Amino acid sequence: MSKYSVIGKRVHRVDGPEKVTGSAKYTFDIVLPNMLYGKVLRSPHPHAKILKIDTRKAEKLIGVKAVVTGKDTPGHKQGIWRRFPELCDEEILCRQKVRYIGDAVAAVAAIDEDTAEEALDLIEVEYEPLSAVFDPLEAIKEEAPQIHDGVDLNINITRHIEWGDVDEAFKKCDHIREDQFKCCSQAHVCMETHDAVASFDYSGKLTMWTSTQSSYYIQRLLADMLDLREGDIRVIKPPTGGGFGSKFELDSAQFCAAVLSMKLCKPVKIVLTREEEFTATKRRTPMYYFVKLGAKRDGTMLAKEVRVITEGGAYTAMGATALYLTGFFSSFPYKYPNYRYDGYRAYTNTAPTSAMRGFGAPQSTFVGESQIDMLADDLGIDPIEIRRKNGMTPNYEVPGQAYIQSCGLHQCLDEIEKHIKKRGKLPPNHGIGISAYGFMSGGIFNWFDTPYAFSAALVRINIDGKVDLFTGACDIGQGSDTTLSMICAEELGVRLEDIRIHAADTGICPADLGAWGSRETLMNGNAVKMAAADAKSQIMEFAAAKMGVNITYDLDIKDGWIHIVNRPERGVSYYDIVKEAIRGRDGNVIIGRGHYTPHRKGMISPAYSFGLQAAEVEVDPETGRYKLLNVTTAHESGTVINPIGIEGQLEGAIMMAGGFGFCEDQPMDEGKILNPSIADYKLIRSLDMPETEILEIDTYEPEGPFGAKEAGEGLTNPTAGAIGNAVYKAVGVRINDLPITPEKVFRALREKEKQGKKSK
Amino acid sequence: MSYKCPVCIKVSSSAMDLARHMIGRGDKIHKDWISSKGFKYSELLALQFKSFGGEGYKALSEVLEKETKTKD
Repeated sequence: MSKYSVIGKRVHRVDGPEKVTGSAKYTFDIVLPNMLYGKVLRSPHPHAKILKIDTRKAEKLIGVKAVVTGKDTPGHKQGIWRRFPELCDEEILCRQKVRYIGDAVAAVAAIDEDTAEEALDLIEVEYEPLSAVFDPLEAIKEEAPQIHDGVDLNINITRHIEWGDVDEAFKKCDHIREDQFKCCSQAHVCMETHDAVASFDYSGKLTMWTSTQSSYYIQRLLADMLDLREGDIRVIKPPTGGGFGSKFELDSAQFCAAVLSMKLCKPVKIVLTREEEFTATKRRTPMYYFVKLGAKRDGTMLAKEVRVITEGGAYTAMGATALYLTGFFSSFPYKYPNYRYDGYRAYTNTAPTSAMRGFGAPQSTFVGESQIDMLADDLGIDPIEIRRKNGMTPNYEVPGQAYIQSCGLHQCLDEIEKHIKKRGKLPPNHGIGISAYGFMSGGIFNWFDTPYAFSAALVRINIDGKVDLFTGACDIGQGSDTTLSMICAEELGVRLEDIRIHAADTGICPADLGAWGSRETLMNGNAVKMAAADAKSQIMEFAAAKMGVNITYDLDIKDGWIHIVNRPERGVSYYDIVKEAIRGRDGNVIIGRGHYTPHRKGMISPAYSFGLQAAEVEVDPETGRYKLLNVTTAHESGTVINPIGIEGQLEGAIMMAGGFGFCEDQPMDEGKILNPSIADYKLIRSLDMPETEILEIDTYEPEGPFGAKEAGEGLTNPTAGAIGNAVYKAVGVRINDLPITPEKVFRALREKEKQGKKSK
Repeated sequence: MSYKCPVCIKVSSSAMDLARHMIGRGDKIHKDWISSKGFKYSELLALQFKSFGGEGYKALSEVLEKETKTKD
């Protein structure tokens, strides 16, 4: 029997009923009195000087209330790395130059969306087109056009990671491989596009309702960009229809709505269209990978060297962090004694690239897991065995980077080995590929205000025993409201339905960095657990006095029953004690406070999840078409808080990561994205979904609340690599260039046939 | 031994580490110092991303070894 009352139970989401009945109010649904509707004018050029913007005709259109350009702003440049001005490079409303097709140049507020749209056509912008560059390998050439002043070779950021003696280690290797890979872009495709309602009032206060992953960051970035004090801005996150990394930077909907509202002192709402969502928000970073891997004959890997050149797009965005994490996760989940990574992010005249679920790890995992299978093949070693020989283990230190406490990778290898054996001999043209992965449970770093990340929570116990939980955590669909409510209920010893969560409103909730890097369960979970424990101890003091128990007895609360631990039948009702305690305090409610910061927990994260995924495909050798039949994942994320939550994360991750491996891409022509609609952008749909199975491995993470760690983004990492390896197993062709489309498989098969004929 | 950045407060444990810092930082003051030593910043970068082995860092670290080494 479980020692927990709430943790580990299959619980439906606390926000489920309002979402499935359609009664949840998203930002899109918010209507305020006298509210106006905004639209944004965007550049049709990938690179051009702005010579003149004439807004007079638009202003005269009946129904138009205001038109703003960059001249109506304080002219600051935004960026999340506020300590490094050269990385704050995005004006949002451009004043002198546009750098990609979709850069914003003006915004309109009108009585309705149609009028605002009509007004955009009346704004006259005179551009001087400049030569542009779209591919990072072209952008870093001496003769390439310069996208930002003073940036040599358009190299926006470099990152370096190294340990051991790589050059010496390669000399000792029996076998060395050098390979090149290319990873494509991917759109986040949130069901709710970026949107915001901004309301600036005559007292000089700005309130914003917006679809975001971090109310905290948006509040601070808005303050910077608008010359307001943070305390004068309140950011409220209503229910949010997806984020996946796209919604924790200031975007054009938020900024333009705020600028217009400040000009008019009226509420302004901006909802990006689906086309804008594809063309004028951030996206996954395309990468060119050059990898050198050396091993002993027995498969012991001695050294790895990685060079990556990424397509940054027009602005820095979260690029610096993504570039570092790409390097860190390129070593995962193996014990390389010698490792070197050099990453370069190049500016290009394309839509900016930034964070997306996995934060660089899906790319590095595809590359690493493809190459390790290639190495195993060269050496005649089983793919499971080579991973077992080199895989991370508990209490392993990644030199100078991270300390890994819990790690269930080897149990995952055992489970997937059993799964593959169970599938038996496969029919012709079927293959099972595997891919190992790991991921962080929140970044230890913060970009401003504090060097370390942090989470805080407040628990208020009311006179009827009901609990209000206040947290800055952002539920963007991943289920953090449910997870945190469960942690709170378990720690307090009350029912889940006793908890009411208030989240992501900077006006009433303690600060939290938000939902990125899979941080909410571990970081906010620890803060919530601590706040609940603080409140609980206050109740216990009163209960102990009331019950008159001997001080040698410990008290606990379980299922609303305060009792002596060793004699659970001897106790009192939690609800009665709370009522008496609060009456005795003249109505003063009980408040518990909690805070967590991963101080001195390495460079990256306080904890890591691990897993191994097996994908089975069936390839048609005539056409190259293939079907993803089964994806089985052995996953360890410490103590499972809510099994339904993990299953949801896994299925969503397979859909997203399978799409990254199989079909999703954003082809461009001279910087113009060619498939900016749901009809043209190929996603894995429900009917394309393979059979999925999750094999949950039992581990306990000492740093996590009740032993839990992340289960959100890590699951996005392995699928592309597993698909690539499965296709190779099925028909013997290796695709190093994502996505692995049927067309690429077809061409590789024909090439293989040609080579076969030649060698005969 | 320690290696002190000639233009900011950064102290590194080796000339290679300091070269990584200076090229990685890439702002005007660091680039100006690199140029004053006869290097072209863009060429050092190009050396780095065109081949394995960290050749750009190595080239700069040879100068830093001579000019920035201090006894602790």
